[in-house]
Amino acid sequence: MMETLAHFALLLVGAALVNNILLTRFIGLCPFFGVSNAMETSWGMAGAVLFVMTLASTATWVFWNWLLVPLGVGEFLYIPAFILVIASLVQFVEMYLRKAAPSLYRSLGIFLPLITTNCAVLATATEAVKPGFFKMNLAYGFGFGEAVVYTVGVALGFGFALITFAALRERLEVAPVPDVMRGTPMAFITAGLLSLGYVGLSGLFGL
Amino acid sequence: MNEWMSTFKRGLSIDNPLTVLMIGLCATLAVSTKFEGAFFMGLAVVFVLTMSSLLVALIRGLVPEQVRIPIFIVVIASFVTIVDLTMHAFLPDIYTFLGVWIPLIVVNCVILGRAEAFAYHNKPSLAVADGLGMGLGFAAVIIVLATLREFIGSGEIVFLGTTIVRLPGWYRGPGVVLLFPGAFIIFGFMVAGAGAMNRRIHGRVVETKAHCTIEEGASR
Repeated sequence: MMETLAHFALLLVGAALVNNILLTRFIGLCPFFGVSNAMETSWGMAGAVLFVMTLASTATWVFWNWLLVPLGVGEFLYIPAFILVIASLVQFVEMYLRKAAPSLYRSLGIFLPLITTNCAVLATATEAVKPGFFKMNLAYGFGFGEAVVYTVGVALGFGFALITFAALRERLEVAPVPDVMRGTPMAFITAGLLSLGYVGLSGLFGL
Repeated sequence: MNEWMSTFKRGLSIDNPLTVLMIGLCATLAVSTKFEGAFFMGLAVVFVLTMSSLLVALIRGLVPEQVRIPIFIVVIASFVTIVDLTMHAFLPDIYTFLGVWIPLIVVNCVILGRAEAFAYHNKPSLAVADGLGMGLGFAAVIIVLATLREFIGSGEIVFLGTTIVRLPGWYRGPGVVLLFPGAFIIFGFMVAGAGAMNRRIHGRVVETKAHCTIEEGASR
């Protein structure tokens, strides 16, 4: 029992901090630079990513293990299959939320279609589901519980990095930056320095 | 023909997907640690972008507006699958190096963004010009970035097992350039340089837009 708990805790921390999806693996950078202008949208985006990513990995895990593998078509159909599952799932969730929970829809709604084609969701779903894509041990496939915990960890790491970066960018607005570097170039260098901190964590817990 | 050339050139300079439009950053920064990896990534993107632009422009009359995004994704996903299986068969080392980035070409904003913003509204020949120009612009930036990082970081450039350039043995490269922060910082300077160059050549400030065009399109 304890061992299982420790395994899950390590998986969570490893996915969130040691292998942070944004700053040490560069997955999902478009929203990282796109929405980090304002603190409020960053919170919304972080929440929406947590929600969609968990749903997407759950759905693709079921789809992969119960449909693609028994039919023997996983190797060459996984790309179109996963992206279609994720896209249609997000569409249904959006329609359901608009009817059933309007207040939640107002805070998360505008971000939902934005994430359909976000590489972070597809990458996490692929890694959590298809054996061979998970970096740490190569031919290892996740069980259902592990896949969900791993996905939640990745999404938490995404939100944490996004919100930190948004806070830094608000201060950057008033900083005296050389004219050539103003705006996006400076944002990249800030992200580089932030990522330097995460590199310090690599190798922790043997992950 | 003139129109063709001007569309083609736009992707290489003033509308460069990476340094100006800021789309498709993830793959660029991640695979640019090795020259050979970046080279084949650029090649894969040129292929997928050109072919999907052509196909989207050919079928644009048949695609209803409401379901265009899923249709584009299926078109792109089939070309990515071709690249995925081909690389797996003929370039296994490169395939392992690129890893999850091959399937991720499907959701690379450059490709979906160009299908949505250009190929869906233009005739096939122009769509091919746009796809080729944008693809080569993407490939050029990613190859320059990877060359800089590999050369500064490790002092040599290796392509398919043969060493092209090697600095003398006393050179100790700063390892951080090969790590993640190096990519961000070097790319930041490249964006600043490209901005300054565009200002000088075209005499106007090219507004950098840090978002995916597709994100707004998909919300409709």
